[in-house]
Amino acid sequence: MMNSGFDRRDFLKVLGWSGVAIALNGCGNTSVEDGKETVVSYVETNDYMIPSISTYFNSTCAQCDAGCNITGRIREGRVLKLEGNPDSAINRGKTCGLGQAGVQHHYNPDRVREPLLRKGGQGEAITWEKAYALIAEKLNGVSGEEIAFLTGGVSGHLKVLLGNYLDSFGCKNHFVYEAIAPAVLRAANKKSYGVEMPRFNINKAKVVLSFGADFLGAWVSPVHFSQQYAQFRKGVDGQRGVLIQVESKMTLTGANADRWVVVRPGTEGILALGIINALGTASGDIAAKVRGYDRALVSKETGVPPGQIDKIAALLKLRSPSLVLAGSAAEGYAHGSQNAAAINLLNHVLGNVGKTVEAAAVVPFPQMAPATGNTAALKTLNDGLNAGKYKVLFSYAANPVFTAPGAMKFKDSLAKAGFKVAFAHYLDETAMQADLVLPLDSALEDWGTQVPEYMAEGAQINIQQPLMEKLHANTRGMGDILLALIKLRRAEEYKKFDDYYAYLRTAVLQNKGALGGGVADDDTFWNETLSKGIIKLAGSSHALSGNAATAGLSLPAPAAINAQYPLHLIPSVSASLRDGRHTNQPWLQESPDPLTTIVWDSWVEIHPKKAAELRIAEGDIVEVTGKNGSIKAQAYLFPGIHPDAISVPLGRGHEALGRYARGYGVNPFQILDAVFDKETGELALHETRVKVSKTGQRVIVVKDEGFVGGKQMGKKIAVRVSSDKVELSEEV
Amino acid sequence: MKDIREDIAWAKINQDVLKSLENPRKLYWVILFCALAAFGVGIGCEVYQYQTGLGVANLNNPYAWGLYISTFIFWIGMSHSGTLLSAILHLMHADWRKPIYRFAEAMTTFSLMTAGLFVMVHIGRLWQFYYSLPYPSERGIWPNFQSPLLWDAMAIFTYLSSSILFLYVGMIPDLAICRDNMHEGWRKKLYTLLSLGWEGTDRQWRNFRVTYLTIACFLSPLAVSVHSIVASDFAMSQQPGWHVTSFPPYFVAGALYSGCSGIITLFIILRYVFKFEEYMTKSILKKIVRLTFAISMIWTYLNAVEFASVWYSNDQASKDILIQKATGTYAPFWWGMIFCGSIVPLTLAFKRAQTNIPVLFAVSLLLNLGMWLERWMIIAPTFSHGYYPWTWDHDQWPSLIQWGMVFGSFGWFTMLFMVFCKVFPSVSMYEVKEMVYHRSLHLKKSETAEQGAH
Amino acid sequence: MSVNNLLENWSQFRHFHPVDDKPHDPYKWAMSIDLDACTGCNACSVACYAENNLPVVGKEKYAHGQAMHWMRIERYWDEDDRDFPDQGAQFLPMMCQQCEAAPCETVCPVAATNHTADGLNSQVYNRCIGSRYCSANCPYKVRYFNWYDYPTDDNVWPAEMNQQLNPDVTVRGKGVMEKCTFCVQRLHAAKGAARSEGRIVRDGEVQTACQQACPASAISFGNLVDPESRVHKQWKAQQVELDKEEQTKDKKEEGGSELRGYRIFEELRPYPSVMYLERVRESAV
Repeated sequence: MMNSGFDRRDFLKVLGWSGVAIALNGCGNTSVEDGKETVVSYVETNDYMIPSISTYFNSTCAQCDAGCNITGRIREGRVLKLEGNPDSAINRGKTCGLGQAGVQHHYNPDRVREPLLRKGGQGEAITWEKAYALIAEKLNGVSGEEIAFLTGGVSGHLKVLLGNYLDSFGCKNHFVYEAIAPAVLRAANKKSYGVEMPRFNINKAKVVLSFGADFLGAWVSPVHFSQQYAQFRKGVDGQRGVLIQVESKMTLTGANADRWVVVRPGTEGILALGIINALGTASGDIAAKVRGYDRALVSKETGVPPGQIDKIAALLKLRSPSLVLAGSAAEGYAHGSQNAAAINLLNHVLGNVGKTVEAAAVVPFPQMAPATGNTAALKTLNDGLNAGKYKVLFSYAANPVFTAPGAMKFKDSLAKAGFKVAFAHYLDETAMQADLVLPLDSALEDWGTQVPEYMAEGAQINIQQPLMEKLHANTRGMGDILLALIKLRRAEEYKKFDDYYAYLRTAVLQNKGALGGGVADDDTFWNETLSKGIIKLAGSSHALSGNAATAGLSLPAPAAINAQYPLHLIPSVSASLRDGRHTNQPWLQESPDPLTTIVWDSWVEIHPKKAAELRIAEGDIVEVTGKNGSIKAQAYLFPGIHPDAISVPLGRGHEALGRYARGYGVNPFQILDAVFDKETGELALHETRVKVSKTGQRVIVVKDEGFVGGKQMGKKIAVRVSSDKVELSEEV
Repeated sequence: MKDIREDIAWAKINQDVLKSLENPRKLYWVILFCALAAFGVGIGCEVYQYQTGLGVANLNNPYAWGLYISTFIFWIGMSHSGTLLSAILHLMHADWRKPIYRFAEAMTTFSLMTAGLFVMVHIGRLWQFYYSLPYPSERGIWPNFQSPLLWDAMAIFTYLSSSILFLYVGMIPDLAICRDNMHEGWRKKLYTLLSLGWEGTDRQWRNFRVTYLTIACFLSPLAVSVHSIVASDFAMSQQPGWHVTSFPPYFVAGALYSGCSGIITLFIILRYVFKFEEYMTKSILKKIVRLTFAISMIWTYLNAVEFASVWYSNDQASKDILIQKATGTYAPFWWGMIFCGSIVPLTLAFKRAQTNIPVLFAVSLLLNLGMWLERWMIIAPTFSHGYYPWTWDHDQWPSLIQWGMVFGSFGWFTMLFMVFCKVFPSVSMYEVKEMVYHRSLHLKKSETAEQGAH
Repeated sequence: MSVNNLLENWSQFRHFHPVDDKPHDPYKWAMSIDLDACTGCNACSVACYAENNLPVVGKEKYAHGQAMHWMRIERYWDEDDRDFPDQGAQFLPMMCQQCEAAPCETVCPVAATNHTADGLNSQVYNRCIGSRYCSANCPYKVRYFNWYDYPTDDNVWPAEMNQQLNPDVTVRGKGVMEKCTFCVQRLHAAKGAARSEGRIVRDGEVQTACQQACPASAISFGNLVDPESRVHKQWKAQQVELDKEEQTKDKKEEGGSELRGYRIFEELRPYPSVMYLERVRESAV
C-alpha cells in the first residue's frame, strides 16, 4: 500500500466523493438563467448525495489550538455549519463562538487566491511552478543556518514533515511563535508537576481558585473547561462547586465567579503565599517560605482585605479537593514564573496534585507531539534578523508584524531578511511584508492530523479532512506545499507520495496497529478513521513528579507607582478574537464582547473611580501612552478592573487582513514594552505602564448594552439566589 | 359684532366667491410653490427610503415607530374639526359655521389623505400594502380582525370616503352656480359634470337636505370613533404609557383641539389670500377661538386625568415612563407640549386676543406645534423606555429622512388644499345666502315686533 | 375564500395558551435555560447567526441599534454601589420567548405572526407588511426588523460568503420582521422524520442551534407535553406551569420557594415558553 498509485481524485471516487466534486462545480449561487453556471444532474449521484439532505463529516476545528473535534454539515456540496463531534472527549459535541465562525474563515471573501510575488508595492499573481522554482532558486547555496522557519503551534504530520524539511538543510531555526500562549505556565508546571500541561479536573473540584485563568474564555481549552464548569456547578456529591477568581481585570471566568477578588496587578503570587500562610497546614520548607506572608503584609501588598484571605483559606480547608489555576494574568510579569510557581505550590499544599491536577495522557509519538508556541522564540528570531543572519524566512500561521510588541520593531527587523515567504490565508500584516505569498487551503479544505496540547481524557490524534471541494483552484494545503518543497530536496524518499493525502494515509496505515486498527484491512480502517475524525489512543501518561520545592521562589514586592506612567496596561484576550488572526470573520466582529458588549471596535476599560478622577466619561476618546508609543480608543467605564490598571482588548487594530478587520479599533500590541519574564524569557504582557489622557473627542460607544447599562431597574429579569436557598441535588 | 353683513346682495356673494377661483393674491402662488417644493422633498425622501430600506429613517429595535406614526396621528387629529364644523355644528344649527365649513371639510378630507400617506411610508413593504385590506382572496387569507391597526385602516377608509361624499354633496348647489357663471373651458365642463344637473328645483332641494342631513348624522359619530380607534392602537397594546383606558377620549379631545387650531390658521390664510374679509368675519373667528379655548381646557383636563391615573395605578413601568417624559431626554419636548397645549391657549381667554389676527395666527401655530409634540411624546418615550431595560434607548433621534417626510406632508396637504380652494368655491355660497336671508328675516321680525310694540 | 369560512373558522385561526379542552398535542416546544451554567460566552448567539442566516449589519448599523441578533446575551451588574462587582456579573441569553398568549400575535394587522399548533410563535415572512406593531407590543423586544435589504447590501454576504447560507432557512429581504424561531426548520425535519416512522419526536432527537453549541449545556429544549422529555421534567421539578401568570409556588408564605425556575414578565400574562433557572451564588464566601 505504500505506493498504490492512488491519488486524491481516485480516492474520492472510491469513497464516493466524486459526486461532491462534480456537484461542487455547480454549487454556490447558481444563476442558471444567465447561463453562467452549469446545472448538475442529480440523476446518477452517490447514495448519500440527495438534494436537500445533509451529510455530515467529521474533522477538527482549526480556529484555535484546543483541537475540538467538529462535524460539518454539508449540503449540495457546500459546508454550511460546524457542530461539535459528540464522540470527542475534548468538546463533547459542543463548540464555542470562535469555532462556529470557522465557516467564515473558509468562505472569507478576502482569502488569498493566487501565489503572489512582490513587484514593487504590488503583488503579482504567478503560477505555483514559478513559485516553487523561485523558492528553490533562493534556497540555492543557502546554508541551514541562514534559513528561518517561523510558525504558529504545529503538531501531527505537518510538524513531522516540516521537521524533515528543515532537516534536509540541517536547519535548526524553527521558531514556534504564539503571541498569547501559556508558555510561562508550561515552564512552571514542568517544575511543579513534572509535566508542562497536566489535566485539570475542574469537575472534580469543590472549590476552584483561579488566578486569572480565563478557562471559560480563552485559556487553553475553553470548550472543554466550560463543560467541566457546568458539571462543577451541578456539584460533586450534591455540593455545588465554588469558583473564586483572583485577577486585576475581570475576565469572562471572573464574571462567572462566586467571588471575584481584585488584586493589585502582579501580586497574585504574594496572595497565593498569603493563602498558604493563612491555611497554616504547610510544614518544612514551605512553612518557612510563607512565614513572612502574614495577612497584614499580604493585604497591604495585594489590596485584598484580610478577612477575604481568611475566608478563602477557610473555604479551601473545608472543601476538598480544590483546584488552583494560574492563568495568563498571573504570568504576564517579569516575575511571572515566580507567580505561577507560588500558585502551583498552593495546589501541592492543598493536596490537589493527583486529585484535581492529574497527569495527562500523552501521544506515544513524540515526533507528532505539538510544538507549542511562545514569545521567547520571536525574540530569538528578532535578534537573529537584526543580526542579518537569515537569508530566507518562511512564515506560517503567525502574524508577528501585528502581534510583536511595538518595542521590538519587528517590521523593521523583518525587512532585513533576504527573501520572505509567507504561507497565508489572508494578506495579513506579515504577508504584506513578504516577497512571496503562497495561498493556503482553508482548514475546511485541507487534510491533516493534529495533536492537541491539552489532552482531555485519553490521548487522541485529531483528523482534519476536507469538508468540501476547494473554493479556489489555486490554493494549496500546507502539507502539500511542504511535500512539494521537500521533494525538491529529497526527491527519492518522497516521490512515492503524490500528495499530502497519500502521505497521510500511508503514514496512518503504516502504524495501524498502534492506532487501534487491529486486524481491520487498510481501507476499512482508513474509512473508519476518517468517519470518526478522531484516533483515540490508549496512550501513556507521565507520572506527576509532585515536586513542591520552594527553592528559588522569591516574589518581588509590588512595584512602586511610576509617576510618569502610573497605570498598568492589561492587554485582554477575548474568547473570540484572541491574537487577532480571526478578526476578519464578521460574526466575531459583531458578537459583543461578553463583559462590555462592545462590537466592531476597541475600547479602554477604566474603573469608574479612576475615570472620575481623570474626568473621563464613557465614549471619551482617550490616548493611552506608554514608553513605546500611544494608541487612541474610546473609554468604557468598567467596574471589574483594578483602579490602577486599564485594559485594552487584543485582536483589533488591523492595517491589513481584510475588509472586516482593517480599520476597526486599535492594536495594543504596538505599545507593549519589551519586558520579559526573568526565567523563561517570555514577553511579560502585563508589564507595560501607561498614562491615560483625554483627547477631547467623544463618540457613542457601539455596544449591545442599552441606555441604563447593566441595570435591571427593579425588574425580575436575571435573578440570582444564594446557594443555601436551593437544593441542587433535587433538580433534573 | 355680527357674523356677517346682512345687506350683501346674493349676486355679490356669487361674484365675491367666484372671484376666488380666478384671481387670488400673489401670496397664493407663493404658498403653492412652497407647498410643491416641500412635497417634492417628501417624495425624494420616500423614494430613497423605498429603495434603501426603512433603516434610513434611523428607526431601530426597540424604537420601531417614529415620526411617521406621530405625524399620522397628528393628521388624523387635524381632520376632526372639519367634521365638527360641517356635520356636528350643522346638526346643532349653529349658523355661524356656514361661511367656513366648506374649507374645514376640505381640510378633513385632505388631512385624512395626508395621514393615509404616513401609513404607507411607515410600513416596511409598501408594495404589499393591500394585505391589510379585507378583500376576498383566492387563498382564503384574511387580515387579522383582532388587530387595532386593521380597525384603524377600516375606520380611516370609511371616514375618508364619507367625508369626501359629504364635501361633495354639500358642494352640489355651489357647483351649479359655478357652472352657470363660468366661461366656456375645462372648468365649465368639470362643474357641469359634478353638479349632476342641479337646477335648484324644490324636489332637488328637498332631497338634497335629506341626503346632507343623513350623511351629517352618519359622519358625526364616525369622527369620534376614528380617533378612538387610533387611540386603541395604543390603548389596546400592552406597552407602558399606552395601556391607558382614558386614551380614546383623550385622543378625540386632542384631535378636536388640533383641528380647531388648524382651522384658525387656515381661516386666517384664506381670509387674506382670497380676500374673504367680508365672509370670514372676525366675529366667526371669535367663535372658533372660544371653541378652541374650551377644547384646550378639556384636553388639559384629560391630560391631567391620564397622568393621575398612571400615577396612582401602581403600574411602575407606566409611572417610569411618565417620569421619563418629565425628566428624561424628551423632557424639553414634553414640557414644550404642555406649554403649547395648556399655557399658550390661555391667551385666548382675553377678548382682545380673540380678534387680533397676528396674535391668533401665532397662537394657532403654537397650538399645532404643541399637538404635534403631544403625538410624538406618545410614541417616543414608550419606545425608548419600555418594559425591558436592556433595550432602553434614549439616544435615537429621527433622521433627516423622517423630518423630510414630515415636512413633505405639510407640502402635500397645503398643495391639495390650495388647489382645492382655487378650483372649488371654498365659501359655501348657498349657505351664506341662507344665512343672510335668515338674518334679514330675523331683522325684519324684530323690526315688526318693535313696530308692533308701538 | 368565502366569508362563511371566515366566520365559521375564525376561532380556529388562533391558538391561545392551552386550555383543558384544547391541549397541545402531541407537541409543545419549550426551553429551559440554566443561568447557573450559562457563562455568557456568546457561542449560542454565533451559532444562531450560522444556522439562521442572520445578517452581520456592520458597525454603523449596530450603532443605530439595528443589529439582528435573534439571541442576545445580556450582562447585568449588581446594583448595590460597591466599588467592585465582587459577585461577578449576571448573564442572560434573551431570545423570543415563544409566548403562548403572545402580545405580538394579536396586533399584527395581516396575521403574519401566528401561533402554531405545536406552540411556536411563527413569523410568516411572505405575509409580513412591516407595520412593526408586533415589535412595538413585545415586552422583551426580541423581534428584529429588516431595516435594509441585507441580501444585497455590500459585505453582508459577498461572493463565497453567501455559499454558507442555510438553504433550509429563508434569507429575509427588507421590510419584514424576524425573530428566533426555535430553529423551526430543524423541528420540521425532525417531525417529518418521526412521522414517517409513525411516532413522535423523541427527546434529544432535535436540538436548537444555540442548545447544540452551548459549551456548558445550559440550554435544554424539547417537547413540554412529552413526560419523558428533560424539559418537561425540569418544568415539573421547578413547579412552573405554562398557563399561569403566577405560579402556585410563588404564592407561598414569605421567603418564597426554594426552586430556581422562573419566567420573565410572567405577570404580564404572555405565558412565555422559556423558563430560566436562577443563577446561584455561594453564600459561604
